[in-house]
Amino acid sequence: MVLKVTYSINPDPEAAAKEILLNCSGLDPSAVLFFASSRFNPESISKSMKNAFQKATVIGCSTSGELISGKMLKQSVVAMVCESDTIGDIAVDIINLNEPGSTETILTQLAGKYGKKPLELDPEKYVGIILIDGLSCAEERVMERLSDLTNITVIGGSAGDDLAFKKTWVYADGRVYENSALLAVLKPAVKFDFIKTQSFCSLKKKLTATKVDESTRKVLEFNNKPALVAYSESLGIQKETANSSFMKYPVGLISDNEPYVRSPQRTEGDAMYFYCQIREGMELDILESTNIIEDTKKAITDKQKEVGKILGLINFHCILRTLDLEQQGKTEDYGKIFSDIPMIGFSTYGEEYIGHINQTSTMLIFY
Amino acid sequence: MIIFPLYMSGKIHSMISTIINERAKGNPSLESSTRTKLILKGIDPSNFSEKSEDDPVIIEKLLKVASDMGITLKV
Repeated sequence: MVLKVTYSINPDPEAAAKEILLNCSGLDPSAVLFFASSRFNPESISKSMKNAFQKATVIGCSTSGELISGKMLKQSVVAMVCESDTIGDIAVDIINLNEPGSTETILTQLAGKYGKKPLELDPEKYVGIILIDGLSCAEERVMERLSDLTNITVIGGSAGDDLAFKKTWVYADGRVYENSALLAVLKPAVKFDFIKTQSFCSLKKKLTATKVDESTRKVLEFNNKPALVAYSESLGIQKETANSSFMKYPVGLISDNEPYVRSPQRTEGDAMYFYCQIREGMELDILESTNIIEDTKKAITDKQKEVGKILGLINFHCILRTLDLEQQGKTEDYGKIFSDIPMIGFSTYGEEYIGHINQTSTMLIFY
Repeated sequence: MIIFPLYMSGKIHSMISTIINERAKGNPSLESSTRTKLILKGIDPSNFSEKSEDDPVIIEKLLKVASDMGITLKV
């Protein structure tokens, strides 16, 4: 099996792509996945990566930080280069987030390339990767529709722009797309599995969303009280300083003992905005952060015990986790967890796994 | 097509079970992911038992969910 990960910190897109190509000399890749800092001109980096790997399907997106085996990087481009003995087949298309029905149309077309309907795709043979505009607020809508239509797991991340919050891009075969989601349906030639890890435990305190503006991810009331009041009371903190607790105490939906995290973003009066949609009537647990390093090590070790050697890993890693690690001075420790695993990833504006989630790492592994 | 009579108690529980069974076809992994999909849509299967009140708002939501998933339920 041939899978290689590599990176460049050369600020010139063409030179960076050439360096990546040079690092992969002798390979005949069928698929290339790359994540590039938003400092790279989008058109140039997309075109340069495609020029470097003309025979391969080349996909990627802009980031808010990059990850590669052993390192967390900034202002770089990281790439995973796979020959056909790793990624047997890959079908890619672009979902236009402005166009109603685009998700269904694109998924149906991609499944059709394998001669199947979306629901006929065997989740043990096929997997979806989604890279989506991180400022579109469309992730829930798209993921929910994909989940309706197919049983394959769709995993991915929301593209970033190095915390500028102005514009993000997805890349496919030399082209650049805005307000779009790139959807790839892969038929790996090796086995694959998933890791979803978030460093939180439930405080067993419940908040039920009783008044919500779903379209803006704004919660007006929890437990029939102003949202910020209910949140603060549950934690026994002052609402005036509750903002400082958001990263440590997000909320989550619990499914099979696994939290699906919704992170508070900011307040407006006593209303709370989240990085993820919360629906009216949803019952959420207040979560408390635990140790990202230890939890991630355990998640990786547990998976290695289950599947054996991990041959490749794609890590969609929440920007809030990156910021947390930076605050604690632990980015080096985090990178080292993956020293012996061929891994690329990026700091996302949201993670996708079955649905849209926050403060999580969703990982696709090949073994 | 699955028909749920109006007088039946625990209708929501039955509808949820039907959606999960229709989608997962006995595959435990798909049963789990379908439960998660329902939770992310705002319907937590663990909140409903055979004794649960037949809340018309939840029933309406489930009919929409089933329709979106290509499953036909009739109350």
